[in-house]
Amino acid sequence: MSEIALRLTDFYYAYPNSDIMLKDISLTVEKGSFTAIAGPSGAGKTTLCRAMTGIVPYYYGGRYAGTVEVLGEEIRGKKISDIAMHVGIMLDDYESQMVSLTAGEEISFSLLNHGFSPDEVDARVHEALNDVGLPDRENYQLDELSGGQRQRLLLASVLATRPDVLILDEPVSAMDPDGARSLYQLVNRIHKDHDMTVVVVEHDLNYLLPYMSHMVLMDHGEIAISGTYEEAARKAYHHPTLCGNLPELWQLKLGLEEKNGIALGSWRYEEEAIAELQKHFRGGARE
Amino acid sequence: MDKEIPELITVESSRDSHRWVAITALLLAIGVILHTISPNVGGVTPNWTIAMYSITTNLTHPGILRALGTGFVAGLTIVPSSKSAFPLGNIASELAGSLTACLLVKAFVAVHLGRFRLVPLIVGFFATLVSGSVFTNILCLVLGLPFSTWLKVMLPVVVVVAVLNALITQVLYRPVEKVFYTTGGAQDE
Repeated sequence: MSEIALRLTDFYYAYPNSDIMLKDISLTVEKGSFTAIAGPSGAGKTTLCRAMTGIVPYYYGGRYAGTVEVLGEEIRGKKISDIAMHVGIMLDDYESQMVSLTAGEEISFSLLNHGFSPDEVDARVHEALNDVGLPDRENYQLDELSGGQRQRLLLASVLATRPDVLILDEPVSAMDPDGARSLYQLVNRIHKDHDMTVVVVEHDLNYLLPYMSHMVLMDHGEIAISGTYEEAARKAYHHPTLCGNLPELWQLKLGLEEKNGIALGSWRYEEEAIAELQKHFRGGARE
Repeated sequence: MDKEIPELITVESSRDSHRWVAITALLLAIGVILHTISPNVGGVTPNWTIAMYSITTNLTHPGILRALGTGFVAGLTIVPSSKSAFPLGNIASELAGSLTACLLVKAFVAVHLGRFRLVPLIVGFFATLVSGSVFTNILCLVLGLPFSTWLKVMLPVVVVVAVLNALITQVLYRPVEKVFYTTGGAQDE
């Protein structure tokens, strides 16, 4: 069985009547990894997410070159709805993905379209709502749910198909910091509980620092830097424009390492950083 | 040095293959409702169905077979609510009207006038003129009326309805176009 969840090889793409949006993309996403994609606006992050699900180029049309593989199989010639059973995507404009009146109908929509039995659909709806912290909300009207709850509901409807890969395109762009942290905690729990491969597009990598195992930084439609988080962060720190994308904690860490010629731990939480900094720099002087 | 861009493969958008069905069905349904409830003023009622398929033809640029299919469905939808002496004549007339709209749009595109602002007005006018003429001619044949009756009585009414339809098509085209293109591809980035 392939240990690669997604692989794009020499991939290029242009929307209809548009210039090339993705250039020379070669990227491998390992199974079970948590990959963050960041970069300036218009760098092609959303288009890259769409390419991973086959929406680009097969739904939007356009021009492309190269290959995209999902779980070791090339997606050319496959139906987007079949790819969606392996790769679930939550778009940044998540409200546009909602099609039903009640929470239960929303989650069961794709399952019924794929011919699952009513019993299986009920079981999956129940499990998905539990997974996202909305138990027993099957009969709630969508307008009875808050914005954050609707976002969790959409996550549930993606999870109900039990995809191997979950792709989230700027899921917290319209949320307050507490809501954003809470959603990413949830995504991380799902990632761990279901051993799911997660790919997240996020402007603010501070939210993802505790969770990401890999990082991809894009610029002008190309992958500028990619790799395991630590490896990619060290490369990004010396990049003239992309260093600003790094989490603040790591900008501090890499700055201190460079200035003082020391090696600090692989900080993921502020507490770790504070503890280590107190150890190294107690009383204003390096020990 | 930048890597050379390989030859790109063109893929047709599958999104549009569903969207044209959705927008055509929606507008024809609206057309049927308006056709049913529109009052007759001075013997003249706008033909909403023709206006609606003229709009979808302008938006989706269908091929001839698709246009004939749209015309056939449009004709069928008018038959039950038709107040005329020969309701089935609507099928033939809407086939002709939809085909006219399709050929006109293709002609405008061919001469690079596809984005000319008054194309919906012209398409709405001629689709209604052809459809109305076909229908009234069939009616004359069925009722055994002389050609002079068609020319002096029916044709002027058809022309008035065509003018009304042309205005309706033009006025409604932009709002419908805006809805149709709300979720664009390239605009997203």
